[in-house]
Amino acid sequence: MMHPIRFLPLVLAFAAGAVAAASSTVAPDFALTDATGKTVKLSDYRGKYVVLEWTNPECPFVRKHYDSGNMQGLQKEWGARDVVWLAVNSTNQSSYEYKSPQQMGEWMRAKDAAPKAALIDGTSATGRTYGAKTTPHMFVVNPDGDVIYRGAIDDRRSTNPADAKSANNYVRAALSEALAGKPVTVASTAPYGCSVKY
Amino acid sequence: MDSLKTIARVTPAFALAVVLASGMASTALASPVKTEHVEAELVSERTALIPGKPVTLALRLKMAEGWHTYWRNPGDSGLPTTIAWKLPEGVGVGAIQWPAPRTLPTGPLVNYGYEGEVLLLTGLTVPRDAAPGSTYKFSARADWLVCKDVCIPEGADLDIVLPVSDHSDPYPQWGSAIAAVRAALPTPLQAWRVNARGDGARIALALTPPEGAPDPGPLYFFSYDEGRVEPSAKQVLTRDASGAYQLTLPAAIQLAPDFKRVAGVVTAGKGFVEDGERVAAVTVDVPLVGTVVAGAKSALAPSPTDAAAAQAASGSDLSLAAAVLLALIGGLILNLMPCVFPVLSLKALHLAQGHTVARVQRLQGIAFALGVVASFVALAGLLLALRAAGEQLGWGFQLQSPPVVIGLAVLFFVLALNLSGVFEFTSLVPSSAGDWTAKNPYVDSVLSGVLAVVIASPCTAPFMGAAMGFAFAQPAVVTLGIFVALGLGMSLPYALLAWFPGWRRWLPRPGAWMERLKQALAFPLYATVAWLVWVLGAQLDNDAVVRMLIALVVLALALWAWRVFKIGHGRAWAAVASVALVSALVVVWPLLRGDKDEPSAVTSAATGPWRAFTPTTVADLGSGGHPVFIDFTAAWCVTCQVNKRLVLNNTEVRDAFARRGVELVRADWTRRDPVITQALAALGRQGVPVYVLYRPGKSPLVLPEILNKQTVFDALATLDSVPSQTVTLK
Repeated sequence: MMHPIRFLPLVLAFAAGAVAAASSTVAPDFALTDATGKTVKLSDYRGKYVVLEWTNPECPFVRKHYDSGNMQGLQKEWGARDVVWLAVNSTNQSSYEYKSPQQMGEWMRAKDAAPKAALIDGTSATGRTYGAKTTPHMFVVNPDGDVIYRGAIDDRRSTNPADAKSANNYVRAALSEALAGKPVTVASTAPYGCSVKY
Repeated sequence: MDSLKTIARVTPAFALAVVLASGMASTALASPVKTEHVEAELVSERTALIPGKPVTLALRLKMAEGWHTYWRNPGDSGLPTTIAWKLPEGVGVGAIQWPAPRTLPTGPLVNYGYEGEVLLLTGLTVPRDAAPGSTYKFSARADWLVCKDVCIPEGADLDIVLPVSDHSDPYPQWGSAIAAVRAALPTPLQAWRVNARGDGARIALALTPPEGAPDPGPLYFFSYDEGRVEPSAKQVLTRDASGAYQLTLPAAIQLAPDFKRVAGVVTAGKGFVEDGERVAAVTVDVPLVGTVVAGAKSALAPSPTDAAAAQAASGSDLSLAAAVLLALIGGLILNLMPCVFPVLSLKALHLAQGHTVARVQRLQGIAFALGVVASFVALAGLLLALRAAGEQLGWGFQLQSPPVVIGLAVLFFVLALNLSGVFEFTSLVPSSAGDWTAKNPYVDSVLSGVLAVVIASPCTAPFMGAAMGFAFAQPAVVTLGIFVALGLGMSLPYALLAWFPGWRRWLPRPGAWMERLKQALAFPLYATVAWLVWVLGAQLDNDAVVRMLIALVVLALALWAWRVFKIGHGRAWAAVASVALVSALVVVWPLLRGDKDEPSAVTSAATGPWRAFTPTTVADLGSGGHPVFIDFTAAWCVTCQVNKRLVLNNTEVRDAFARRGVELVRADWTRRDPVITQALAALGRQGVPVYVLYRPGKSPLVLPEILNKQTVFDALATLDSVPSQTVTLK
């Protein structure tokens, strides 16, 4: 009858297909809807530095960084250097703090914010996958798709907008080092802020 | 003038009143400051200050019902309360003495803090030269974050004035409360031995009780510092043979550097008894032996409560033993699947011909079982590894990639042609390979097992997707255990026949009929090919189906021509076979490359009353007060197709949906789709089918995988208790 050894090429092809179908990365890919209704994937930006900013307009810690102009400043500063900035709102659609894509877009416009996209994660699945705990909670992804910084935005744990200026900003530090080809000194800090509304 | 005289007359009384009033003010506390969610004030343990002696003041925060403020380490989110003192010359001040916190779960996250009322103590010292009769004013700016579902930063400027005296009494209202809080402040364990050891992504905190110490009950460790212990991960308490309590602490995902000491508060459900006194909380501060690595990143993966709710709703709360037993039975049933049965039944019949020594056959049976189990474990391990690496995949992933579907279609087509007698495998390969397999019968059997799993793989997804989904929702060890059971079940019939030669009496005697059976069994395999081509069509487009069919026809031509060449006809036939093979490859090549493209055709998601799924569908549709029903499905999922034909497309069911104004959404998972995988994960599922009814004002209802009309009607009936617009209109 059949001699399986002769199927080995097909068996190997099957295994190779399964592996090729899913190459592994450290920063999990996601596909989320932006404020204009367009689907944005992390993998769209492979080859570039990407900043993921977990956000929630209802959170006083987020407002601290937007009311002081700190977050918009970072978005513009690094956007100009070809870093892709994605704001992610993982507030669950069952929470009354949930913002529709339109509402999120309006808020970003009102704040004169400049992320590449503001993304809505209404099932919270992306937030859970990344282990995002707080708003803000920041992740920096390198062009290979590895997370090179995760944690707090800076070292001043407060809701006072005045603190944003004098703080040591971990995201700026990580991007500055990475873009200069240096290893990131502080790659992980405990985030601070409101809990993500899962 | 009269009024002046009056004042002059009453001056002694007036002066007394002023003194009394000011005296009261100097000992009375300023009335509490009320913010939106908190009542705050500074309170004192004693009525007066004694020169050179310490005094305890407290920031009293009384939170509104359901609101909380934070401990020094706020846990997963939040901010500790802060006090900035403005003090008279010469007054010394210590840090906040925090009462033991409690855990405050919010969704999958865990915070550390206080609900109700809390007294945050601070010790101050009054200068030795403070003059009795004078007063001291202590001012403080207190800031706190108060949270319920939302967080509000609040703060207040507070002060308290206390007289200096050589004598003081407990302050009437707060004196005893402050004393009680101070007595209950966590203090170091005296008689117990404590040590901490790093163990990978865990910290083992060992607490050895003294002789005869009563059981302290459940223990919980609150780390002073963030970035040490993951607040939302479960701490496990065990007791070892020596009687020591072992509290296993999962390391923080975002581990902070310089982890040298394990310092924090340990609370005990029944309390620690020391010197005859029972204390509910103690402090530990011990060096960390060994090293700790950051915890795994899956702490927020769908919370156990979500998964449990989903399971309870669908009634599939399997115990491990039941899951393993079901997997074993599932494996047995796999032998009967249209893709597996033809191949394995012929393999079994060949045993009956009994050309080989019994001992060799037995070992071959075991080798076959090994091959099957190892392949299932490898496949499950591959999926687990890819998921750990962050891929959004579920069971059925092997059929979500067009190249894999094409490979399987070719494999089944070639097997079927072989059974039909179009060609012999012996004619395909050099004879040396045949000799090699003859010399290594066990390797041959292991590879037979691998092949059996490969041909079974398209059948596990359609018929067993839900069970596999359960398997992948379990810890990795359980998942692999279930797959081992599945492999054992699948290989059991063949292995038993190989082991017990006597059993083969029950098999029909070999004869000429076997050739006809072999040819007949080709047809289930052709049917499998037809189905795989249909799946490919759903993943790509009609053009892909045509390319695939042409490639198969040309492949058949190649095999046929090769056989003609091998039985002694001219070399021209070999050339025909080669050209045909190359043509088949050329025709199918664009499909193999096209894996990364978006589907060029609109899949079956949005048809009829069904809308396609997007992450915001539920919110958008639900905001209109409508219930929403989501059908998570895939073309390769046979259970899904059966449910669709028999139940969802049934007129009565469609009418029932329409009557209640249910918005219908279809999430098509035929191709890889991280959005849908995430939505499934949020429901605690890893595979299709899943049916969910989102009900306004109620929790979502997950329906069983095998639908019937009554189940759907029952689910819809639960909507009626909610007055929806549609119902009141009727």
